[in-house]
Amino acid sequence: MSLVTDSPVHSSSSDDFAAFLDAELDSKSSDSSPNEEGAKGEFDSDSSDSSTNEEAENDSDTENQRIKRSRVEKLENIEDPKRSTSNGSLEQNLGASSSKDACIHPGSFGDMCILCGQKLNEETGVTFGYIHKGLRLGNDEIMRLRNTDVKNLLCHKKLYLVLDLDHTLLNSTQLMHMTLEEEYLKSQIDSLQDVSNGSLFMLDFMHMMTKLRPFVRTFLKEASQMFEMYIYTMGDRAYALEMAKLLDPRREYFNARVISRDDGTQRNQKGLDIVLGQESAVLILDDTETAWTKHKDNLILMERYHFFASSCHQFGFNCKSLSELKSDESDSDGALASVLKVLRKIHHMFFDELVDNLDGRDVRQVLKTVRKDVLKGCKIVFSRVFPTQFQAENHHLWKMAEQLGATCSRELDPSVTHVVSQEAGTEKSRWALKNKKFLVHPRWIEAANYLWQRQPEENFCVNQPKNQ
Amino acid sequence: MFFHIVLERNMQLHPRYFGRNLRDNLVSKLMKDVEGTCSGRHGFVVAITGIENIGKGLIRDGTGFVTFPVKYQCVVFRPFKGEILEAVVTMVNKMGFFAEAGPVQIFVSNHLIPDDMEFQSGDMPNYTTSDGSVKIQKDSEVRLKIIGTRVDATEIFCIGTIKDDFLGVINDPATA
Repeated sequence: MSLVTDSPVHSSSSDDFAAFLDAELDSKSSDSSPNEEGAKGEFDSDSSDSSTNEEAENDSDTENQRIKRSRVEKLENIEDPKRSTSNGSLEQNLGASSSKDACIHPGSFGDMCILCGQKLNEETGVTFGYIHKGLRLGNDEIMRLRNTDVKNLLCHKKLYLVLDLDHTLLNSTQLMHMTLEEEYLKSQIDSLQDVSNGSLFMLDFMHMMTKLRPFVRTFLKEASQMFEMYIYTMGDRAYALEMAKLLDPRREYFNARVISRDDGTQRNQKGLDIVLGQESAVLILDDTETAWTKHKDNLILMERYHFFASSCHQFGFNCKSLSELKSDESDSDGALASVLKVLRKIHHMFFDELVDNLDGRDVRQVLKTVRKDVLKGCKIVFSRVFPTQFQAENHHLWKMAEQLGATCSRELDPSVTHVVSQEAGTEKSRWALKNKKFLVHPRWIEAANYLWQRQPEENFCVNQPKNQ
Repeated sequence: MFFHIVLERNMQLHPRYFGRNLRDNLVSKLMKDVEGTCSGRHGFVVAITGIENIGKGLIRDGTGFVTFPVKYQCVVFRPFKGEILEAVVTMVNKMGFFAEAGPVQIFVSNHLIPDDMEFQSGDMPNYTTSDGSVKIQKDSEVRLKIIGTRVDATEIFCIGTIKDDFLGVINDPATA
């Protein structure tokens, strides 16, 4: 008897299992009912009734006793305010009325409020399946978490960095899409046992081969000092986790911050709504601008990394892939190395150069400023780049040049420094040659945009027309 | 909480197991099938402790398989609201932490972590008191109170709290 009164089973209230157990223990302790009864009941949802009935037939005294005892307990519970959830209906009402007013249900785990443990029926808020299955958070809670977290992070001199996988940090291909010229790679794969040094992996169970972008290990190591990093990929969850294992075998960079297509709130779009970071402190590294329509200001666009032939074909290039040419991006001077320099610069400016207080700073502004430095002092005139009917100011090259800090102009004048042209035969091109101005190909602007540096103009000469 | 109860299950057995070892085969198959599973009603079946009774086999038409009703004693584990549990922390993040008590997943939100414990990010995220004396991180053992359970057919979710007397870290892996 005493076992039953003390047992926490009692405080778990409404649960039929508990109720049944209570009855069951009771009957056993009082009249040593045969074991079969226990088996027959098997914690059936209605068995609490049925077994009490049986008991009543067996021994009505026991039944009375049980009711008596639970009454006593009700009284006890009321006296004890700490046990807000318990047995009797009276007590339950008391508990509910006090907690219902207070609890705003900030989020849920397995459809239970994370604050009061109540079962919630309607699904509200945003799913955070990438952190843990069954976890959802309301908007207010997300705001609260972001605010406290960003303060914490800024104290540690860190910002957020969201990284894309495919074409940014690595390149993958299906094994069946590999060309004959790539077959040699299969003999060069690195062991999956010691992932931390290799860069080319064959994942047989996913029928995939993955090549990490050169410099990625150093990049992650250095970036982790300045940023709290997320992976955000359009691949599925299993793939994302596998890739995270390759990039971060010791799980020191990403922890559980791996977001995949399955977690996003919108189809074919990536959004910062499921990233628990203040938007003013997030930088994004991705190769696809269209995926981030709402967060273009946070985005640092990456030059796509195409190692495998299938990836080249997918984007419509007919040239040989890096794998077929048996070459690769430069380790010390590739896209990741140059973007790391930019990240360092932004980080430095954000924390060491801005004077206003930490809360008011916006990394998007810093990003703009850094970008504006790239082609500072250049005055550009375009020649035969835009279609004739096209509004020049709206062309993406024009916009890009302005974002990079250059001034664009339609007319030639002595202050012009660069003429951007597809061919050397145009009037403006000839003017440039005559006046010793730079004559460059439009790719010069694109290269500066990707590499965040003014490129040497002689590498982007405009081809002389063939008839000359 | 653990319970020692009697459950029943119909076991289908392939004819190739018939013979002297039929009973042994039946029991080992039962263990393989049942141990470690979760049913919404009883919780997790931790271990089979004994066989009560094996009923008469019934031959299935056409297949030759035989169905035996088996009654067995087993230890089951099921968490209850209000129960105090000891659990191992599996993941710490800014929302709170996740812990496991055997097969049960428990979430403790940062609302239910004492206010003097603050989240520290880094490669080993943790909740630490301002004086640094108490730290909750991955693999810490904590004593917590269940404030909500939800039992599915195959899973049990729990919400826990450590914002109460005598709850919190009981063994710190960093100092152990």
